[in-house]
Amino acid sequence: MTDGTLIVAGAALGLGAGVSGAALPRRFRVTAAATLVWGACALEAAAAVHVLATGHPIVLRSAELLPFTGVDLVLNPLGALFVLLVAIVAVPATLHGIGYAQHGSATRSATCVFPIFVTTLLLVPSAGSVATFMVLWELMALTSLVLVLVDHGRSQAAQSAAAWYAVFTQGGAALILVGLLVLAAHANGQSFAAIAHHARHLAPAVRGLVFVVVLVGFGSKAGVVPFHVWLPKAHPEAPSPVSALMSGAMVALGVYGIVLVGDDLLGGGPVWWWLVVLGLGGASALFGSLHAASSTDLKRLLAYSTTDNIGLALLALGASGLFEATRHPLLASLGLVAALVLVLNHAAFKGALFLSAGSVQVATGTRDLDQLGGLLRRMPQTGALFLVAAAAITALPPLNGFIGEWLLFQALLHGAASGNTASDIAVPLAVAAMALTAGLTVVAFVKAVGIGFLGRPRSEAADGAVEVPITMRLAVGLLVGACIVLGVIPTLVFPAVERAVKTALPGVGTALLAHGVDVQLVGLRGVLAPATLAGTMTVAVLVVLMLRRVLAHQPAPRVVEAWGCGRQLQTARMQYTATSFAEPVQRVFDDVLRPVQDLDVSHVAESRYYIEAATFHNAVDDGIERGLYRPVIGAVRRWGQAARALQPGSVHRYLGYGLGALVLMLAALAMIA
Amino acid sequence: MPKMSLVNWRARRVTESPAAKPTSPNGPAELVGSVQLRHVDAGSCNGCELEIVSAFGPVYDAERFGARLVASPRHADAILVTGPVTRNMAVPLLKTLEATPEPRVVIAVGDCARNCGVFRGGYGVVGAVGEVVPVDVSIPGCPPDPTAIIEALRSVTRR
Repeated sequence: MTDGTLIVAGAALGLGAGVSGAALPRRFRVTAAATLVWGACALEAAAAVHVLATGHPIVLRSAELLPFTGVDLVLNPLGALFVLLVAIVAVPATLHGIGYAQHGSATRSATCVFPIFVTTLLLVPSAGSVATFMVLWELMALTSLVLVLVDHGRSQAAQSAAAWYAVFTQGGAALILVGLLVLAAHANGQSFAAIAHHARHLAPAVRGLVFVVVLVGFGSKAGVVPFHVWLPKAHPEAPSPVSALMSGAMVALGVYGIVLVGDDLLGGGPVWWWLVVLGLGGASALFGSLHAASSTDLKRLLAYSTTDNIGLALLALGASGLFEATRHPLLASLGLVAALVLVLNHAAFKGALFLSAGSVQVATGTRDLDQLGGLLRRMPQTGALFLVAAAAITALPPLNGFIGEWLLFQALLHGAASGNTASDIAVPLAVAAMALTAGLTVVAFVKAVGIGFLGRPRSEAADGAVEVPITMRLAVGLLVGACIVLGVIPTLVFPAVERAVKTALPGVGTALLAHGVDVQLVGLRGVLAPATLAGTMTVAVLVVLMLRRVLAHQPAPRVVEAWGCGRQLQTARMQYTATSFAEPVQRVFDDVLRPVQDLDVSHVAESRYYIEAATFHNAVDDGIERGLYRPVIGAVRRWGQAARALQPGSVHRYLGYGLGALVLMLAALAMIA
Repeated sequence: MPKMSLVNWRARRVTESPAAKPTSPNGPAELVGSVQLRHVDAGSCNGCELEIVSAFGPVYDAERFGARLVASPRHADAILVTGPVTRNMAVPLLKTLEATPEPRVVIAVGDCARNCGVFRGGYGVVGAVGEVVPVDVSIPGCPPDPTAIIEALRSVTRR
């Protein structure tokens, strides 16, 4: 079988999965579709691995498939890395979906659309021309939109989330289309190869404009501040396998788009482009982590954390571009390696976190942290997996989050004196933003684990939670396994990442040298030995445990109630809640978060000294949504209201309009003639 | 006499000079030298509390003998109970005892703690401390003098 056949066969299997999801009887359709999706993932991943191993792109063309333009597929190493990323998330997400489907959301439309969504995700990185790219991109947007709406019957919020998502994804796609069409018009051809060939000779102003327009378009897909508003709405409302795919894979394709256009097609640009990217990245990282730290809805927390992680990836991307513009090819290469590794790692742990949030939702029926608690004892395996994934996202060694952030820190710290003033000011600021983000991420995930899984259950639903089916645990386990493998033996993927980097930035050298399982930075001081680190940590823990057993002779522990100041009734309400845990952070960042707090006290009629009832309301809504988008929506609505005066429902008035228009037109024609 | 340092040559030491070491030791040998105390007011008139505060003040300074007040029974070796045990405080007293790690000592401070004092037979009174939890040391007096409290604490710390 040739390499091209792999891609075509994968796509065919994916579409077949969609058809079988729609056509087969209810009993088989979920498993049949899932099996075919796995086949599609396996074939596309095999093609991607082949490309990454050999470095030769796969090129396919079919003139008949799409009218006027034809379909061009070019799978180069950069795209292949993202295909692999999508497959890593899609396989467990589909597995999780089998168990998830038993709890509703196995409608015919969902089972039909989900495989098509996965297939488009797999194919977008191999698009080789503007038309193919836009068709696949739009298919991906539309299918994900349908999947956000799967639960529309159950929740009003899903409809509103889908409306927000539709506006952002379509607006973004329009901007991407405009940018790519400008490039295609100048290149006299719409294939990416032709565009890359001609884009270097464009006027700098045109190149800058195209880059900014496309950056906004892809940024809205990647959930970059201030275009992130749809993320915390759509991710919670979508079924969890879909949120895992949207957050782990689809958002990553936004980053792919920026690399594709910025580095591959336009071939890099001046310093100011990358300062914009760096600024957007820093703002996203800080804003996302801050909101994650103060969210009480588990999936909303994860959605904001996606904005935070994509922000870090953009920091790496911006730094890489800056270093390339200031002629530091090694650092540029290191920065891009960091960006790609960050995105890859994010796919693994965020996929695991979203899928376990889905398991929690299946087991308890809620994702409000203030209603959860005590789940580690009731769902020990899901809880342990969530804990490991949370440790990975907070960048604790020996897990994969640490590797990505270490690379980014190395790139930024070594690049602090690049010789360009703007860059020399921006890079240390980026280091500071990254450090604060890392701290806030720890707060967010200590809260998610501590409030959600430890302590006592805060509701009957959490009290009655039972462990989810084995398929769902296995799905999360696969992704957590990926987190551990990528953290302990990152040298497995580094050669592939290097190949992808060389596709995007052909001029740069190799940034990393692998010595067995250790990694050394080329030309810079910095060595990372994750396997040694993991081994040492394991040995240290074992030694401490053994010493404890050997040295300390302890009497049998006496199990008593937790100390509650001697109160006679201890209830779950006396514990920390997610809201109270986040309160100090919320107070410190009051000016940014601007929480809305209301205290209503009603007094007893006889005396103001006695209180009859008190209600306290605390909400942290998105400041950017409130300040930037709500006024626009309000203005549009007012215009709409004003326009209603033209439409009073009177037939006479409408006839008058027709007459007036006719007279005006005749007058205009007479004048022209 | 210790050598006078430059810092305190103007200040006169006001602490009572310690009496002789206690002769009749109380409590387990593990606690010798240092005892952390959690105070429980089981229904006291606050007379005993004033005397306890005084015992830990600069004049009597019980801390030089290794006794120290702490904020949680989880940190404590002994609990210091004052007052007759009232209905509302019986369960909290038991819970405090349960929360104190072993080996531990229960010290009943004042006449009310020993035998309910003037509150004996009151409608809100369950009984003396000894009727609710096992008492190891009791200090008589209404209220007991700080020296009496110090003496009892020293019998536990043995310093």
